[in-house]
Amino acid sequence: MDNSGKEKEAIQLMAEADKKVKSSGSFLGGMFGGNHKVEEACEMYARAANMFKMAKNWSAAGNAFCQAARIHMQLQNKHDSATSYVDAGNAFKKADPQEAIKCLNAAIDIYTDMGRFTIAAKHHITIAEVYESELVDIEKAIAHYEQAADYYKGEESNSSANKCLLKVASYSAQLEQYPKAIEIYEQVGTNTMDNPLLKYSAKEYFFKASLCHFIVDELNAKLAVGKYEEMFPAFSDSRECKLLKKLLEAHEEQNAEAFTEAVKEFDSISRLDQWHTTMLLRIKKTIQGDEGDLK
Amino acid sequence: MSAYPKSHNPFADDDEEEDSKPRRGFNFDEDPEESSLSPAERRQRQLQQEVMRTARSAVDSSHRSLGLIYESEKVGSETAEELIRQGEALKRTEKMIDNMEQDMRTSQRHINTIKSVWGGMVNYFKGKPEPPKPAQKEQPVSYEANSRLQNALAESKQQEDKYQASHPNLRKLDTAGFGASASLDNGPSDQNGYPKNKQLRAAHQQLDSNLDEMSLGLGRLKNLGLGLQAEIDDQDASLDALLNKVDTMDGKIASTNRQLKNLK
Repeated sequence: MDNSGKEKEAIQLMAEADKKVKSSGSFLGGMFGGNHKVEEACEMYARAANMFKMAKNWSAAGNAFCQAARIHMQLQNKHDSATSYVDAGNAFKKADPQEAIKCLNAAIDIYTDMGRFTIAAKHHITIAEVYESELVDIEKAIAHYEQAADYYKGEESNSSANKCLLKVASYSAQLEQYPKAIEIYEQVGTNTMDNPLLKYSAKEYFFKASLCHFIVDELNAKLAVGKYEEMFPAFSDSRECKLLKKLLEAHEEQNAEAFTEAVKEFDSISRLDQWHTTMLLRIKKTIQGDEGDLK
Repeated sequence: MSAYPKSHNPFADDDEEEDSKPRRGFNFDEDPEESSLSPAERRQRQLQQEVMRTARSAVDSSHRSLGLIYESEKVGSETAEELIRQGEALKRTEKMIDNMEQDMRTSQRHINTIKSVWGGMVNYFKGKPEPPKPAQKEQPVSYEANSRLQNALAESKQQEDKYQASHPNLRKLDTAGFGASASLDNGPSDQNGYPKNKQLRAAHQQLDSNLDEMSLGLGRLKNLGLGLQAEIDDQDASLDALLNKVDTMDGKIASTNRQLKNLK
């Protein structure tokens, strides 16, 4: 009951604000402190948008925030405009992902204009997440994650950059763009292996890089594993390295059962997640494919 | 003589016992039938099975523990990454607050000038606010986690090596026990009693290797934990400093707003 009342109020406010903006556009309004009216209208738009949010009318809220943002731009309030666009994006996320992305893009443009790359990067990540979950457009998601990583790198936030790069790599590998994934994993692995806190994750990255090498070509994988062991001695003690060696052997002998056996043994101690399982299945297919050819 | 229920210690002792029992108990060439077993021998077989079961459950539980240790390590390393990222964010925030302070000082000067001519002259004498320290203008230093930790880590690695050097000595005792039973095995050619020993030996070896891996994993976990603790302490300190700066900033902004209102 309260919410529908709010909604009516909100619609009223929007109408009023529209009138104000129109009136300020006319010659007379412009003379008599048109700006003041426009500011008021802006505020009213924002209030209306909040009321729409309370009434859970997300698209109306998004629209109201967009209006407010446009007016802020007119008034040269870049900060406020960008914040309003972000609010609009958040509201649209629940209703219309495309609109959300448009609003967030507008906000990002303003932030990059002002030189606030960190925040722009954060919003790129939000957009990428929307592409990941709701619109399921992995290519665009990758593009946004890459952009975010570049901005973070520019601001020397290496850990945040690494986080985005890892997402890029995992999606690229899923889309079979292996060279890119390999490069990223190797890079991140080499960067993290010196850091006393992060080196515990370094072996994971080398493992992923080796898996990608493996799918491309077995010889590559062998060379890669040797290279990583040299660079990072702790890698050779890890169970991942032992698994890789077993898999290489099984692949050489074209023995699919030994392959499955090794994977099962590894899985019994540490579960393999979806990404790993997909990659391993692809590698296994190359074994069975070869067997078919030999026969 | 043979079937005394010894203590359920599946380790080294039982091997010798078990080896001697079959030699005395069974004839060399014939396969002992179940029905021909005397109650004592049946009891002995029961005990052997009991021992096998215990050994197997020990191996299973060590397997599970190993899994848990690796999982903890994974969680720990992810936490470490997150922690470092937050540390970077904190550093960024601190820099921004410093910039804000600069800006506030500049605006304060401007307000002084606007308020009165006298204020403007005071400003002239006070001179320009110190130019931002050159360090701020340079490329921001990439975030380095606690470096004290690196030394600690190097030391603990050496410790680990020494520990491992002592550990094989302990291993040798066990394998000596195994070796002894191996020689006893080759003597009498009886088939049935020994496979159990081989299985038991395999189970013990598996258990040993699992325990080794567990100890390595625990060592790594300990270092990870220490590293996380040092990092959190550092971030704690910088959070406190940040809190103070933000508070002063808040006060300054409030006073500037008031001044601006009065100017109007």
